[in-house]
Amino acid sequence: MHELRLMWRNTRMVVLCAISAALYAAVLVPFKVVPLIPGVTELRPANAIPIVCSFLFGPAAAWGSAIGNMIGDFFGGVGPGDIFGFVANLMYGYIPYKTWRIIADGQSPVMRTPANIAKYVAVCLAASVLCADLVGWGDNLLAFRPFSILGNIIIFNNMVSALVLSPLILYGVYPRVRAGRMLYTDMMPELAERPRATRIAGLTMLLAGEIGAWAMGNLVSTGYWMPSFLPASFAISPYDKAIAVTVSPLIFIALAGAWLM
Amino acid sequence: MPIYLYIDRRSAIHRLHPTVKVFALFVMFWSVYWVDHPLALLPLGVLMVALAQATGSWPNFYRLRWLFILLIFFTTLAWMVFYRRGPALIDLPIIHLSRASLVFGFGRGLKLAELLATSVLFLSTTKVEEFTAGLQRMGVPYRVGFAITLAFRLAPLFIDSALTVVQAQSLRGYDFDRGGPIARARRYVPVVIPVFMGALRKANNMAMALEARGFGIRAAPTSYIDFPLRPRDRLAFAIVAGIGVLYFAIYYFGYGAIAVS
Repeated sequence: MHELRLMWRNTRMVVLCAISAALYAAVLVPFKVVPLIPGVTELRPANAIPIVCSFLFGPAAAWGSAIGNMIGDFFGGVGPGDIFGFVANLMYGYIPYKTWRIIADGQSPVMRTPANIAKYVAVCLAASVLCADLVGWGDNLLAFRPFSILGNIIIFNNMVSALVLSPLILYGVYPRVRAGRMLYTDMMPELAERPRATRIAGLTMLLAGEIGAWAMGNLVSTGYWMPSFLPASFAISPYDKAIAVTVSPLIFIALAGAWLM
Repeated sequence: MPIYLYIDRRSAIHRLHPTVKVFALFVMFWSVYWVDHPLALLPLGVLMVALAQATGSWPNFYRLRWLFILLIFFTTLAWMVFYRRGPALIDLPIIHLSRASLVFGFGRGLKLAELLATSVLFLSTTKVEEFTAGLQRMGVPYRVGFAITLAFRLAPLFIDSALTVVQAQSLRGYDFDRGGPIARARRYVPVVIPVFMGALRKANNMAMALEARGFGIRAAPTSYIDFPLRPRDRLAFAIVAGIGVLYFAIYYFGYGAIAVS
C-alpha cells in the first residue's frame, strides 16, 4: 500500500489521479438523477471507470476513484457516511490492479482467454465486495441505512458496470496507453512489490475478511441471526451495535490483507 | 445536472473564510448524527431554510427538489421494513408499520435531506479553490488539494467533450437510443474512448507545465489568492461550534432520542 503514499511525489501520477477523478465524476454526476432505489443509490455506469483506470494508472486510479466519488457525493448529499464511501472507493480502485498482479502478473487484462476472463471477473468481484462491505458497514454503524440494502446493491451495481462496460473501454484504451508508455508501471518503475508469499497471504486475508463481513452483515442487519455472546440490548433494530461488534473485525482483516498485498 | 452549483452573490455567508465553511460542514454532520427525533432535527431544517434565503440558493434547491422528496419518502419506507419495533399499527410479512418505525424512518429521511441541504448550501456559496484552501488549512496536503481542484475543473470539460462526440456521432447516423438499458449503455462506449484518450493527451503536457512552474518544490507553496481571517469569521466559527455543542448536549441529556414503548 506504500505506493498510495509514494505516488503523490510523482507529478504525472498526481495529474493522472485528477484525470481519473474527473472522468469518474463526469459520468457519475449526470446519472445522479436516475435513482435505482431513491435515497439509497442511483444508476452508476460510472463505476466502470475506476476499474479501467485501476488497470491503467494503479495507485493514481485508487485516489482518483475516491476523489471522483467525493465530487459525485456533493451532488447527492454529503454526510458522515461519505468518509466510509471515500475509503470504499479508494479500495475499489486499489484492489483490481493489486489482485491482478498476484493472480495474473504480466498478462494483459484485455486478452480474451477463458482463464483471463475468469480472473478478470474474480478481480472485479473482490473489489466490488470490499467496496460494498465498507459502505454498508459504515452506514449501518451510523444507523443511516441497513447493511443488507447497500451491501448488496453496491455489489450488483459495480459488477454490472465492471462486466458490461469496463471490458469494452479497456479493450479500446489499454493497448494505446501501453503503447504510449503511460501505464503506472512505466510512470513509477521504482515501485517494489512485497515477497509473493506475503502478497498471497494478503489476498487470502482480503477474501476471507470481505466474504465474512458480507455474510455477517447480511445476517445481522436483517435480524436473521445473532451471535449468542451478544447482549440482548444489541439485538434490536437498527442493529448498529451488533454490526460494530460482529462485522468490524472482519473488515479490519480485509483491510490488513489489502495492506499486505 | 450542472457540475457547478456555485451562485455568485455577495452574502455574508459567501464572504466567510473557507475554513469556517468547511468547519461548518463538519459541524452539521456532527449535529445531525447525535439526534434521531424529527422534532430535534427540525431547528436545523429551519436554519437551512433561513440560510438558503440569505444566500439566494433557492434555484439549486428547486433543481434538486425531487431528490429531497424521494430521499425522505424512500428512507421512511426502508425503515418501515427494517425497524421492527413498537406496537404495530399494520403488521405485514415485510412492512412493520408502527409509530416508532414511522418516526424513526422519517427522522432518518430528514437527516439525509438535511445533509443534502448542507452540501447544496456549501456548494452554492463556496468556490472550488476556496474549498481546497479550507482543506489545506485543516491539514490536507497541497498536492491532494491540487488534485481535487483539478478534478473539479476537468469534469465539466470532459462532459463537454463527450457531448461533442455524441453530437458528431449522431450527425453520422449513430443511434444512441436503440435497445434496452444495457445495450444503450454499451452504445456510449465509443464516446468514452475518445474522451479518455483526449484526457490522456492532456495529462503529459499538464504534468510538464506543472513541473516547469515548480510544482511540488515547496510543501506549502505561495498563492495569489489570500483568505485573511476577519472578526466576523471568528464570530461565525463560535456560533457554528456552539451549534455542535448544543446538539451534543441534546443527545447527552437524553433528548432527541425516540422513545419505544
